[in-house]
Amino acid sequence: MREAALWISGAVLAFLATAGAFLLLANLGTGPSERNLRPDPRPDESGHNLQLVLNQDRLTSLRALPGQEFEVGVRNAGDEDLSHVNLTVEVSSENTAFSNALYYRENVNELPAGSSVPVRFYLDLSVAGSMASRSASAIPEPPRKIIEVRATTPEGVSAIKTAIVPV
Amino acid sequence: MRSRLGAAFLLAVTLLLAGGCLGQAQDTSIPPLPAAGAGVDAGLGPEAQPLSYGPGYKGSPSFSPQGSRIAYVVDGYVVDRPVGAGDTRRWTTRDFVAEDAEWTFEDGLAIFGAASGPVPADEASRSVYQARSGVESLGVRELVTDVLAMSPGPEGEGLIVALQTGSYRSEVALLRDSGAVDRIYTSPLGGRVTGLSLSPDGRKAALAVRTAGDLTSFELHAFDLRTGTHRQVARLEDGLEIFGAPQWTRKGICYVVGKEEASSGTEPLYDVFTVTPGSDVPKPTPGVGEDFVASSIRVSPGGERLAIIGRLNPNAPINLYVLDLATQTLEDLTVNEDMEIKTGPDDLAWSPEGESIAIVARGALSEEPRVRAAPKGSLLEDFYNLYEVPVEGRAR
Repeated sequence: MREAALWISGAVLAFLATAGAFLLLANLGTGPSERNLRPDPRPDESGHNLQLVLNQDRLTSLRALPGQEFEVGVRNAGDEDLSHVNLTVEVSSENTAFSNALYYRENVNELPAGSSVPVRFYLDLSVAGSMASRSASAIPEPPRKIIEVRATTPEGVSAIKTAIVPV
Repeated sequence: MRSRLGAAFLLAVTLLLAGGCLGQAQDTSIPPLPAAGAGVDAGLGPEAQPLSYGPGYKGSPSFSPQGSRIAYVVDGYVVDRPVGAGDTRRWTTRDFVAEDAEWTFEDGLAIFGAASGPVPADEASRSVYQARSGVESLGVRELVTDVLAMSPGPEGEGLIVALQTGSYRSEVALLRDSGAVDRIYTSPLGGRVTGLSLSPDGRKAALAVRTAGDLTSFELHAFDLRTGTHRQVARLEDGLEIFGAPQWTRKGICYVVGKEEASSGTEPLYDVFTVTPGSDVPKPTPGVGEDFVASSIRVSPGGERLAIIGRLNPNAPINLYVLDLATQTLEDLTVNEDMEIKTGPDDLAWSPEGESIAIVARGALSEEPRVRAAPKGSLLEDFYNLYEVPVEGRAR
């Protein structure tokens, strides 16, 4: 009877040990959780981490017209406060024969660590004037708009996002 | 004994619980994706390496005679850049409408297109211009007008052009490197030349000729550049057309023949045919496979291989293949992962030594906006860009 109990206890112990080992191995191979899939830049050596966020829904609502509201989320994900964050938005055509890029600038004076602010631009995305190039008629598809957003600080912290928008 | 058993049991349960909870405590961040560049698999397989970046509708690649640079058309103007790292150099003004650019010598390009005036219609003739590197004004010199098709001349020197001399009448001319007309052949062709290429020995040219008629009607001609005589090699059935320039290989003249399939909508079906030497009967090119749907072809510098852009069957993705004409073996050089490979007749080019092929491709288009964490000039798959694909061994 005692021998049987020993055998049963040993078997249970072996099962639990094996299951535990498998669970341990499985957890070691687990990838990052879904919410971390956004490609956030790592902080630089000084602890600065400047991020730009472009809202997909707002991008979808842009039209080939003047005065299109374009919002850029500027986030300080680093450990130190940032000041004088310069934002430059360049609007250009996918057709590189068009040389009439438009530039817009804004400034965020203070951006404390961990905070974010929305910055609004009103972009001219109209195609009028752009189609003057002869090459436009030689390209079989309408060119998309390219909106390139750059953020820089006097300390050299920077971030960049480029949106390619069919309008 | 009982207490020892109990302790072991407790230890096992503790280990089990600790192991199960281990992965929940930490969130690791994923570093941003690198901008595409050398060594990046851009969706065409690991062998394909980008030759250009950034926006622009690119096409018509052409390697320089030494193979160190590649010229191409982007949004109608012409640029070139080193095959390795280096800056892009512009050859024409941005209002130029170029369709093809070919190196005529190391520091000169022949450009097929229109420098001014209205953009010509599809079937209208163009002009050929000469552009030289080092000319700061981006000026081009018009060499000849009313050009229907062009090809680099024998041994890569000068040009051979087909000129429109009537609504359905063409003539062939040779131009020197300097752009001067070397010879105009007086034996006209009864139709409009839509494509031409030289034979491997440089003595003959294969021409696709569209003849007059209610229905599409094409002929394949062989033109002897020494005697100035030509003969009809094949005549296609009405409704069939030759797509691009026929390619004169060591095993005969190959060409893509297409027919719009009315029943299946707009998707054309194209096959590669060959007219072997001594025979005037076109036959499906051996080794390609009967289900293959070809889009464009280009013969290797040695004339014994044929680069083909096409699909193994109508449902397969478009890839780049090389057909060894002697062994009749077809090798795929790209592994297309949802890329759009351009299928225009001039959108592929062999390097001078036959070690690689340049193609043009981009990622699948989306109607939704895309956001990238990189400057526009370093983006790759969002726009048509050039890729160099190595070929095993050298072209023979």
